Amino acid sequence: MTKKISYTEAFEELQQLVEEIESGEISVDELSEKVKRATELIKICKTKLTSTEEDVNKILKELESASDDNAE
Amino acid sequence: MSEIINDKKVFSLHELTTSIQRVIAERANQSYWVKAEMNKLNVYKHSGHCYPELVEKRDGVIVAEMRAILWRTDYKRINEQFMSLLKQPLQDGITILFCARVKFDPVRGLNLHISDIDPVFSLGELEKERQACITRLKAEGLFDRNKQLPFPLLPQRIAIISVETSKGFADFTKVIGKNEWGYAFFRMLFPALLQGDKSVPSIIAQLENIRKVQHHFDVVAIIRGGGGEVGLTSYDNYELCKAIATFPLPVLTGIGHATNLTVSEMVSYRNAITPSELAMFLLQHFHDFAVPVQRGEEKIIAHARQLLQEENKAFGHLVRIMRSVTENHLLQHKNDLKQYSQDVVREARYLLRRSREQQELIRQTISKRAVVVLQQKKQELGRQAVSLEKETQLLLRNIKSKLETTENTVRLLSPQNILKRGYSLTFFEGKALKSATVLKPGDEIITMLEDGSVTSKIIRTDTDNTHD
Repeated sequence: MTKKISYTEAFEELQQLVEEIESGEISVDELSEKVKRATELIKICKTKLTSTEEDVNKILKELESASDDNAE
Repeated sequence: MSEIINDKKVFSLHELTTSIQRVIAERANQSYWVKAEMNKLNVYKHSGHCYPELVEKRDGVIVAEMRAILWRTDYKRINEQFMSLLKQPLQDGITILFCARVKFDPVRGLNLHISDIDPVFSLGELEKERQACITRLKAEGLFDRNKQLPFPLLPQRIAIISVETSKGFADFTKVIGKNEWGYAFFRMLFPALLQGDKSVPSIIAQLENIRKVQHHFDVVAIIRGGGGEVGLTSYDNYELCKAIATFPLPVLTGIGHATNLTVSEMVSYRNAITPSELAMFLLQHFHDFAVPVQRGEEKIIAHARQLLQEENKAFGHLVRIMRSVTENHLLQHKNDLKQYSQDVVREARYLLRRSREQQELIRQTISKRAVVVLQQKKQELGRQAVSLEKETQLLLRNIKSKLETTENTVRLLSPQNILKRGYSLTFFEGKALKSATVLKPGDEIITMLEDGSVTSKIIRTDTDNTHD
């Protein structure tokens, strides 16, 4: 899997993993791998909850150039 | 009065206007109730008087226009009634029902002196406009457009249309800014006027700006608050409502008032009564995301632990069974070995004893048999000794008898006896003559008889021997 997984995908995959583990479909052999994956997904989701990457200045610049385009 | 100049009857302007004034005062000497659109209120701040522009439009075209005067005291009283009933002041662009007298002033010209305006009528007109706006949006299929947008899983990036100094904006940012769960929001303010007529183009312009950079945002929030209940009619404006309804991102409203919902609030994705409630709504979406994540984490930990415990337990059980089975097996073998060794010793002793007994028996038998055999041999020897003697004697007698027989035979066969019985022997040249062929006439032969011999000469020989 790539690191660029969206939080929606991460959330859905996590829900699915929880369901799988809850229903007891997972054997001890798979457990370690699944728990590792779930930990990654939880980390992605939690990071998303507590941080954003948007930059006001960048948006303002885009807005200016968009307005210029319109003006032309 | 009038004067004659160059044969013409001439009036001064004042005479004319005074005349008009008198005619109008006579003809229109009472108050009338008139309805019209108040295009401009034109409040003169210095004097406090108003000079409204009144128009009537048909299909967008002005068919009547007139200026009016509303004195300060009347304006003040009417405005209070409007604020109380319509929750907004007397303002531009509303349709009013007013009581007025037509006045002509030589200096100011034709005017309507407004003495009263009916707030109930204006309220009805506003409500009519509001209903018309709703009907139109529904007819155009725009009314539910924004509500049908998919809502983001995390409404994290918020484009806020508000006034930086407003209480509503402060309330909103306070709730989401430093929340106890550490949820992070990205907020960007797009400042706009939020009440009065000018709010319509101002908000629409900012929505347009946000649309240009919409990929940076999840939702739009229109936040007003602290402005009281006045100046909300702009939120019933068709153009503004349309801009909100057709916006590509979910628009959330937190306008903060207690009266009927404005159309803007109706068409928005979600309306909150206050900006704080709007912030709570966003936080709730974070909870809706965070709680399953948290629960998922707990569930995974619990189930993984349980699974491991169960496996461990099952394994332990297996080990115990294995040990028990092995121990039993070993014990069984040990017992068997013990039993076998006892059996072997016992068997060996038994066999030893038996073979000793057999040996003894054999020894006894042998010694018994030896005595018997010796006795038998002894008897046999005795018998044989007797037999040997008897046999020897018999044998000697037989030999003696045979010897006597042989002696007789020999005696009978002796030539003397043969010669006695008449037979003779003939010798030729010293040997016994056995064939006539060897002889020829003249040969001398000697014939031996019992009592002597004769010598003869051969006359003839015959080889044929037909006689006896």
